[in-house]
Amino acid sequence: MTSLLLPRRTFLSGGLGALGVMALGLPALRAQTLTPVALQLSWLHSVQFAGSYIAREKGYWRDLGLEVALNPGGPNAPVEPPVVSGQALVGISAADYTAAAVEQGAPFKIIAVAMQKNPFVIASLPANPVNTPADLVGKRIGMALANTPVLQALCTINGVDINAIEIVPTQYDAAPLLANQVDCLLCWETDLPVAMAIQGVESVTMLMADHGYAVHSQTYIATDDSLANRRDQIVALMKGEVMGWNDYKADTAAATDLTLAAFPDQGLDRATQLMQAERQVPLMFSDLTDANGFGWFTEETVAQNIETLALLGRTVTPELWDRSILEAVHGG
Amino acid sequence: MTSPGLAVPRAAAPTRWPDFSRPLAIIGMVIGWELLARLLAGSYILSGPIDILAYLLGNAGLMTRALLVTLEAAAWGFLWGNLAACGLALVALLLPRLQPLISGLALIFFCLPLVATGPILRVLYGTGTGPQVTLAALAVYYTTYLCLLVGLRAAPASWFDLVRTYGRGRMTELLRIRIFATLPYFLAGLQIAAPAAFLGAMVGEFTGAERGMGVLAIRAMRGLDVDATWALASVAAAVSMLAYGALGWIGRRLGSVPPALLMAPPPASGRSPLGLRLALPLAMGLLTLGVVVLLWQGSMDGLGLNRFFAKRPGDVFAFLFTDAQAAANRATLLSAFGATISLALPGYLLGLMLGAAMACAIVIAPALSTTMLPIAIALRSVPIITTAPLITLALGRGAAGTITIVAVMIFFPTLVACLEGLRRTPGQVIDVFESYAASPLRRLTGAQIPAMLPAFFASARMAIPAAFLAATTAEWLATGGGIGSLMAMTASTSAYGMLWSAIVLLALTASLLYLLAGQLEHLVLSRFASEQLVK
Amino acid sequence: MAAEPRDRPPPEVRCQGLAKTYGDAGGALMALSTTDLVFEAGRTTALVGPSGCGKSTLLRLIAGLESPTTGSVEIGGESPLAVRKRAGLAMAFQDASLLPWRTVRGNVALALQLGRMPSDGEAVDRLISLVGLDGFEDSRPSQLSGGMRQRAAIARCLVTEPGLLLLDEPFGAVDELTRLRLNQDLPRLWEKRGTTTILVTHSITEAVLLSDRVLVFSARPGRVVADIPVALPRPRSRDSLEHPRFRMITDQVSAALMEGWQADAAQ
Repeated sequence: MTSLLLPRRTFLSGGLGALGVMALGLPALRAQTLTPVALQLSWLHSVQFAGSYIAREKGYWRDLGLEVALNPGGPNAPVEPPVVSGQALVGISAADYTAAAVEQGAPFKIIAVAMQKNPFVIASLPANPVNTPADLVGKRIGMALANTPVLQALCTINGVDINAIEIVPTQYDAAPLLANQVDCLLCWETDLPVAMAIQGVESVTMLMADHGYAVHSQTYIATDDSLANRRDQIVALMKGEVMGWNDYKADTAAATDLTLAAFPDQGLDRATQLMQAERQVPLMFSDLTDANGFGWFTEETVAQNIETLALLGRTVTPELWDRSILEAVHGG
Repeated sequence: MTSPGLAVPRAAAPTRWPDFSRPLAIIGMVIGWELLARLLAGSYILSGPIDILAYLLGNAGLMTRALLVTLEAAAWGFLWGNLAACGLALVALLLPRLQPLISGLALIFFCLPLVATGPILRVLYGTGTGPQVTLAALAVYYTTYLCLLVGLRAAPASWFDLVRTYGRGRMTELLRIRIFATLPYFLAGLQIAAPAAFLGAMVGEFTGAERGMGVLAIRAMRGLDVDATWALASVAAAVSMLAYGALGWIGRRLGSVPPALLMAPPPASGRSPLGLRLALPLAMGLLTLGVVVLLWQGSMDGLGLNRFFAKRPGDVFAFLFTDAQAAANRATLLSAFGATISLALPGYLLGLMLGAAMACAIVIAPALSTTMLPIAIALRSVPIITTAPLITLALGRGAAGTITIVAVMIFFPTLVACLEGLRRTPGQVIDVFESYAASPLRRLTGAQIPAMLPAFFASARMAIPAAFLAATTAEWLATGGGIGSLMAMTASTSAYGMLWSAIVLLALTASLLYLLAGQLEHLVLSRFASEQLVK
Repeated sequence: MAAEPRDRPPPEVRCQGLAKTYGDAGGALMALSTTDLVFEAGRTTALVGPSGCGKSTLLRLIAGLESPTTGSVEIGGESPLAVRKRAGLAMAFQDASLLPWRTVRGNVALALQLGRMPSDGEAVDRLISLVGLDGFEDSRPSQLSGGMRQRAAIARCLVTEPGLLLLDEPFGAVDELTRLRLNQDLPRLWEKRGTTTILVTHSITEAVLLSDRVLVFSARPGRVVADIPVALPRPRSRDSLEHPRFRMITDQVSAALMEGWQADAAQ
């Protein structure tokens, strides 16, 4: 609030005093024109959010009048609550998580979709591969028990009897597969298979999205209240995101280096991050985004999502998705 | 009443092994560790000292920065937690009537599960190191409070008579006597607290931190980077051991004799009739619960937290008893809880028994202590978040893994406490047995085990919250079942009603079991070591 | 608060209708039955009797550490509390009750601090020297023998120059030989000033050797069964033990103790 008073004081006082105040006042004035907002990430800092880092480092948000804080997530970090409470303007969730939160009374809308294809894969070793859902029969799969509905949905879509698969509860770690405690893992295309590859272990991945599992991932969510009252800020935030992710697609190596430089304390390994950055591209960008822009979704993709979510036990309506922000971003 | 300061030092120290045996044993262990790591190479489980050293040298800058960040949060938490403990203990001392209430509240807050409090603190604090500092403080304040509670009363009555013969009151007692008399107890409490603070700060980083050891640990575990994982575990263990050693050194410099590890809860009432003796704790328990409910509702309302995640007592009651799905909710919660208990309880008992048995074995064959004790102290300091996945990998993900994790968490403190207890067998009692040329076994069963019981029961009581922490952490990070995973699942399901219900259930159960163990301890102490009961 | 004027004459101690009962009506335990006593100013009185006869209770009542069930205590016309508040009395306990974290010097100086008196390093060192602890000023209690600890405790009692000295079996925990030496050395320090002294002891020899008067207590509930004057010349020393009257008085005290014991047994 002091910054509001500064211009007047600059006029009133003269000479050295004015110079001093101006020297102090300039950064304050600039900060005053930027609106501070927060984007709640869903995991620790890594190239998973490189588009956002580009938007921040290249000043895309600054030029749009925003000062964006990128709040990291973690294994025990809440994503939906900070958005509900207004600490974060926008959060990065997933369609199934968002559906569950809405069921619990959170007033969310999905305003954009970063991962057009769900990143869940079944990872296995070449000697004993899982190439199709049918290959799962008779295998031991390592996964968090909490993800049983995900496997159930995949089985239902592909007509596989889930009882023919042995579920072994594991922590999120590739070691059980390498120790031959399980035959395959339920994980993300972009994390455990990358870790194995970096350690020199070749693996086979079956992308569940290629077998009918349609759940939007890394979705941007905002509350009804923010959409009504802070619309300009959300549009500006998403504009910066789109610009950042477009740069990312153009040069993943540069995006990786920018991420490493921005977060020297994260213990990021360049080779790992580069491979993750490359593997992310086909999940995030498609003919749909080429035609309409980053983050896009259609009635058709929403309908597919509603179908898969129903298999996961989540009943949602198309109203959960709100494309008006994207339309403003890509239209303007 | 025994006074720690006035105890005449035992003339004859127990048989000492030559001084170089301990370093030799440590070197042997390091070599064994390296060999084991070589043997397991390619299984992504264990790194040897050489690889760890190489990793540390190669990433010295990164590790130092991470360590400083976590250390700072742990230090603040350590400071705040211990200050809170001092404040609580002072209030309990000055207003003795409030002591049961204060102790009850302190216990309930201590029994809150880390998995669940972490995200809630993150929402409360927003960004920054608030959750790390708070979790570290929560991890330390209770043990320090207990130590202070005993220490502030651990002075012979004549010292207080002395103060009163000069017409001075409670303030002088506190400033001239109690504060100094409690110092050894306080330092013992700080020693226990130091590793706990570090673990609390690391787990706090799981709630979304910009940097620190916890952040690196997650990255290393996910990235199959075994060297980094073990380097982090080693650094964490080294920091904990250094803090432990430094506090012990300060204690010795101050000339304070470490007190017996007795933390018997002060008896409720002395000569009151039986009916009152039963009714009073019950009334106190109800009062404590009432205050908890008020604090809970008040803080949530006062901070204006959204009901979506910040459930109130009424919401939890509705979730469990009046909602349409109340019965299903209860069934889910109780079956998960049952699964957890069915693993935590055997692990708890196993850990206690093994700890006591190993202590006895060391007394019969002292050579064991040169190898066992350094391992015990080192492993006690390794954060459970790194050992849990290792143990499940070694023992599988069934019951055996979780039971072992719980047992390991409890084994080492029990061993250390029991050894301390055994060592405190009065020399004259030992002499009586010696004068009949009794066998070491007879001496053990006849004299030393009874002398060990107070320490054993004290650690059995302290182990209850630890057992729940270990079981839920193992379920959360490694095995994915039970109430630990139910709480962790909230992140994807937004089932905050279930999360809060789980917190209530866990905190209540742990508190009740703790009080029960306290009663049992009291019973045993009044039989075997009545002089150790706090009057 | 003003410090005790060091030239104030030693007080007379009056106990009127003094009684102490522990516990409530259900399980009452009478520690001291109604007692009227006067302790003359400047004299030393020894209290002897079997364990649990209330002699320590009487001492604690006089010090005001416990409040009587009935009756009152006056020390030179003042209440015990008023006397304590101006450091007008000092008490020694069976265990020396030295604070283990303070040196000998610190423990002696503690009395000055508790008595709100100006710190007086010279007086502290002089008393340490008087009790024969030269060279141990900076030692901690754990480094001292039992007899040395009692000497330090006596130095702590005397450093405030109290008018009334209450000694609760101060030499009870040391061996016989040490006790004899302490009995010879230490009383001179307060006898010279003519301090009013009340001494609780188990040792008949000690009682007679140190006092001008021995009060014999019966077992619970405690009451005075004999009041025996000790008319032995002062200063006393080991030679006093050889004095013919000494044996006579100790026999008298023993007989009174036995009588009290038999009276109890007959009840």
